[in-house]
Amino acid sequence: MSGDPTIAERFARSQAERPAPARQAFLARMRAEPLLPDAGAGGGPLTAAIAVMSFLAGLALAALFFIFAAAGAWTSDLKSGVTVQIKGADSAAIALEAAAALKLLQSTDGVVEARAVSPEESARLLEPWLGEGNVAADLNVPALIEARVAESLRADLEVLETKLKTVAPGAVVDDHGQWHERLTAAARSGEALAVFVFLLVLGAGAAIAAFAARAGLAANGETVAILHLVGATDAFIANEVQRRFLALALRGSIAGICLAFLALGLASFAMKAAGGGAGFLPTLDLGPRFALALLIVPAGFCLVTAVTARLTALRTLSKEL
Amino acid sequence: MIVGFENVGLAYRDQAEILSGLDFSLQEGEFRFLTGPSGAGKTSFLKLIYLAHRPSSGRVTLFGEDVTAAPREALPALRRRIGVVFQEFRLLDHLTAFENVALPMKVAGVNQSQYREDVRELLNWVGLGDRIDARPPTLSGGEKQRVALARALVAKPDLILADEPTGNVDPTMGEKIMKLFVELNKLGAAVIVATHDISLIEALGKPMLRLSGGRLADATPAIAARKGRRK
Repeated sequence: MSGDPTIAERFARSQAERPAPARQAFLARMRAEPLLPDAGAGGGPLTAAIAVMSFLAGLALAALFFIFAAAGAWTSDLKSGVTVQIKGADSAAIALEAAAALKLLQSTDGVVEARAVSPEESARLLEPWLGEGNVAADLNVPALIEARVAESLRADLEVLETKLKTVAPGAVVDDHGQWHERLTAAARSGEALAVFVFLLVLGAGAAIAAFAARAGLAANGETVAILHLVGATDAFIANEVQRRFLALALRGSIAGICLAFLALGLASFAMKAAGGGAGFLPTLDLGPRFALALLIVPAGFCLVTAVTARLTALRTLSKEL
Repeated sequence: MIVGFENVGLAYRDQAEILSGLDFSLQEGEFRFLTGPSGAGKTSFLKLIYLAHRPSSGRVTLFGEDVTAAPREALPALRRRIGVVFQEFRLLDHLTAFENVALPMKVAGVNQSQYREDVRELLNWVGLGDRIDARPPTLSGGEKQRVALARALVAKPDLILADEPTGNVDPTMGEKIMKLFVELNKLGAAVIVATHDISLIEALGKPMLRLSGGRLADATPAIAARKGRRK
C-alpha cells in the first residue's frame, strides 16, 4: 500500500516544529471569533439588565455629585459668614447699639465685610412664621448684622463678641456652627447613601454575571469539553468567558449611562425652567467633568462583570477533568 | 513508552466497571488496531488515553507521566500531543470548517499566520477545500468526519487516536485516510485505530487489540479463525 508522503511529511509528529504560543494583542483577541457560542449565556437579557443597572448607578453617581456640590455651596456660605444679633428693650436702643456694633465690626481686622440687615429684610424673614403686617412696630425685633470674617478671626469669635458687648451689650455672635454641623452630617449621610446604592447596583451586576457565567458554561458543556480535549487550559476557556462578558457589559453599560445622561439632562432642564431651585438648591451641572465622571459606571461594570465571570468560570471548570 | 496501562479499570460514577484488569503498552512508532463487539468498551478505552476520564483502578501513564492522579494543570499539555478523531466527530457547530480544524492551534495560543496554510492544506487534502467556510450543520456525515480528521492532525501529534475513522466516508476516502495513518506512523507517530472493519485490519496487517466484555482478549485467534474460514 503506497502512502501520501507529501501530506504525511508535512504533518508528521514534530515537537521541534510545533509553533510556540504567541501572546495576542488585546484588540485582536476582542475581535476574534468567540469560541463559546451565544446560546445559554443570555446575551440579550444580560445586556438589558446591565443597561438598567448602569442607568441606576448613573443616577446614584449624579445624586452623589449633586449632594456634594449642594453641601459645598451651603457650608461654604455658613463657614465664612457670622451673624451678629442685637437684642434690646426697645427699638431705638437696638438701632443705636446696631449702628455702633456695625462701625466696630467695619474697623476690626479680620472682618472682610459687614452689612446691617434692614428692618424690611428682617420683617420679610419673619413673614413665613408671623404673617404679613407691621411686625417690627409690634415687637422688638432684634437687629441683624451679616459679616464675612477671615479664618483667623473665626477661630476666636468669643473675643469679637466681648469687644462688641462694650459698644452693644445686647450683641450675640452666631457662627452658624450648629447649622454647619447638621448640614454637613445630612450631606455626608446623603453621599454615603448614594455610594451605597452605587455599590449595591455594582454588586447586583456581579451576582447576575456569576449566574449567567455558570448558566452559559452549563449550556455550552459540550463546547467546553471539546476545548478541554483539544488541549485548552482552564485559563484559556475563562478568558473566552471573560471576553464575552466584557463585550456584553461594555454594550449594556454604555447604553445605560447614555439613558442616565439623557434623563439627568431633562431633569436639569426642568429644574432650570422651574427657577433653578430659587437660589437655594444648586443646579445639576452636566458639564464635561460630570460626563467624564460618569465613565466610572461602564468602567466599574466592565471590571466587575469580567472579573466575576472569569472567577466563576475558573471555579466551575475546576470541578471537571 | 507512549501509553502504559497497569491493571486499569474504568467505572462511570458508582456503577460496575465497564473496563477492568487492562494491561497494555504502546511504544513510540507503534500502530495498533483496537477491535471488539459493540459495547465492548473501545471508546471508553480511548477515553482513558485522551484523558476524558481517569481510571477507577490501576495506573495509566502517558508519554512517561503517570496521569492517574496528575494535577489537572498538567493535562492540557499532554492532550495537545494527542490527535483524536472522535466517532461522533465532536465539531463546534458555530465555527466554520477552517476554525474547527484550527482549534488545537488556537487553544495552544499559536498565531493564525503560523497555521493558516496548514489548515487549508489539510482541508484540501480531505477534499473540503471548497467548504472551508461551511459550518458543521451544513456538512454531511462524511464531510464532518473529514473535518474531524484534519483537526486531529493539524498540531502534528505524537499519538493519533481514531475511533471508527472510516465509518462515514466512502471506501476510497477510507483507504486514503488509512494510508495517511500508516505514513504518519512510519514518520514516528504512534497510532491506535478503533474499528469493527476486520478487512481493514487484515489489509494493513498491523497488530490488533481485542476488547471483549471490558477486558483485553488475545486477538490472534479471532484473525486466524477468520482466515481459516476464508480458505
